[in-house]
Amino acid sequence: MEQGGERMSGSLHDVKNEVWMKTVVIAVGLLFTGLLAYGVLAGGVGSIKHSEWEDAHHELENSEMAWNVANESGTIAEQNAAGKVWEDAHHVDVDAHLSYLTWSTAGKTIMVMFIVYAAFYGVAGFFNSIQSEEEHYEGDDHEEHHGSASPILMAGGILLFMMGFPGFVTTCKAWLGLDYEPNMTGFMLSSIGTIILIMGIGNWWREDMKGYPEQVATSAPFKGQDIRKAGMWIFLISETMVFATFFSSYIRMRTGWCTQWAVDAGRCDVVDTTTASDLLRHDVMTLLPGAINTFALIISSYTIVLALKTAKNVNWKKSENALMARLFPSRKKAVRNYLLITIALGSLFIVLKLVEWSHLIAEGFTIDSQAGSIFFVATGAHGLHVFIGLLIMLFMVFKADTVGYDEKNGRGIEYFGLYWHFVDLAWVAIFPAFYLY
Amino acid sequence: MGEHKYTGPIAGTFQKMADLIGKDVYFVNFLILMFLTLFEVAAVFFTQIPFTEIDITRGAVWGVLIIIGVIKGYGIAAFFMHLKGDPFIYTRTALFPVLFVALMIWGIGLSNPDGIDSLPAWCTPNWDYSYVTE
Repeated sequence: MEQGGERMSGSLHDVKNEVWMKTVVIAVGLLFTGLLAYGVLAGGVGSIKHSEWEDAHHELENSEMAWNVANESGTIAEQNAAGKVWEDAHHVDVDAHLSYLTWSTAGKTIMVMFIVYAAFYGVAGFFNSIQSEEEHYEGDDHEEHHGSASPILMAGGILLFMMGFPGFVTTCKAWLGLDYEPNMTGFMLSSIGTIILIMGIGNWWREDMKGYPEQVATSAPFKGQDIRKAGMWIFLISETMVFATFFSSYIRMRTGWCTQWAVDAGRCDVVDTTTASDLLRHDVMTLLPGAINTFALIISSYTIVLALKTAKNVNWKKSENALMARLFPSRKKAVRNYLLITIALGSLFIVLKLVEWSHLIAEGFTIDSQAGSIFFVATGAHGLHVFIGLLIMLFMVFKADTVGYDEKNGRGIEYFGLYWHFVDLAWVAIFPAFYLY
Repeated sequence: MGEHKYTGPIAGTFQKMADLIGKDVYFVNFLILMFLTLFEVAAVFFTQIPFTEIDITRGAVWGVLIIIGVIKGYGIAAFFMHLKGDPFIYTRTALFPVLFVALMIWGIGLSNPDGIDSLPAWCTPNWDYSYVTE
């Protein structure tokens, strides 16, 4: 159905306040799940691992004392034996520390992620649920699309958030008992910015749930194409440039460093810089989080394709396989569940990323060095993109569960898919460059 | 996102593989991406080609990583991002930043510590380095 420069992106929907209130219930569930994950992983298993680490550290201290004694008064054989015992104890201590960090970081990351998910669902959903019913639906299926003020609201929120962010951080540090003076002005500015940002997101969410005519470009070079799709590609150009700057700084610095790789390749003699890949690629276990993340992103790219295919498939039939039929009982639920699987894989990516970071930091690879700075900024920016994608997908899951996606409004999944595949594409470059090379 | 048949040397091969196993191109692309990821991880771990005594040099690994990265990038952009089936304007849009990336790489080359005396002649036509090297 095309009218001049517009075609319909699905019919308009009436989403009642009680439907929006579901988000508040889901938010409470997410909050509870996050706290439970923290309790089990960081509080439960993490505590056990911490006591194991303490025991291992105690053993290390004892073996160090024994080695010192052997060095002062023992024979060469005794010194060597004590040295061997210390080395073994050191390995056990490092392994115990990393094991503790794995569980503790995983628990904390899941909790923080779920709190953000809950805030996103709860605040944005609640904001929409208190609108008057007329606000949700004007009853005109041929409503003209006027554009949205929500991005401007969101940009204003981000502005305030960033202005107050330094104060927000120092205030949080002060509250955590660290030696900082709280900056309440910055904290309040950042908090107000966050609320405005979430309100903007909520408003945009409501507008999209209702459905609207798809605007079509009327002039070259995108004539006849959906404006949203063209806009998404232009946005992806800017994203390419963002990641290109990370790569250019990395390549520029890397060509000047004498790394283990350069020594192995015979380009220089003495290692002067340790890169993240030096710490990660030497062993299967250290490379495993990065490798699993690569597979997770590829699988998630495929599940988003399946969600789109299912939404657009008017002849969709339930699988004859019992498990698949249970997982994907109807077309509407199949789309929702594919999106949920994508969220689960993206969340796994974030958890493993932070676990891996905690290990690198524990081994002394911090943001203080040039190599660390470039690594953490590049992989962190990528992780942030994944996390923003997850927040968008939370909205899409809600839409898939309520209004539903079909052949008319499936474009939303397609355009989000472009972003998600781009994030996958960026990882295709980051993984070999920062983890394998 | 159409269900049309892909043609051409690379996309056509993907299509033939999909027809062979009775699945769509997206599934074949997914399998190839998974396999290539395994291959690039294996390339870093092995110092010799398995069952031979041929050493895998760092240069060879570097080449493998670049080639696999390009193939994986093509698979994602062409099929998952539908550039292969969409109007060509989207491919042109996607390739637009390549110009800037090429300029960046050129800049990296010029500002490289070895750039003063190791760049090829075509890159430094008649430049006088005497003020730097003296």
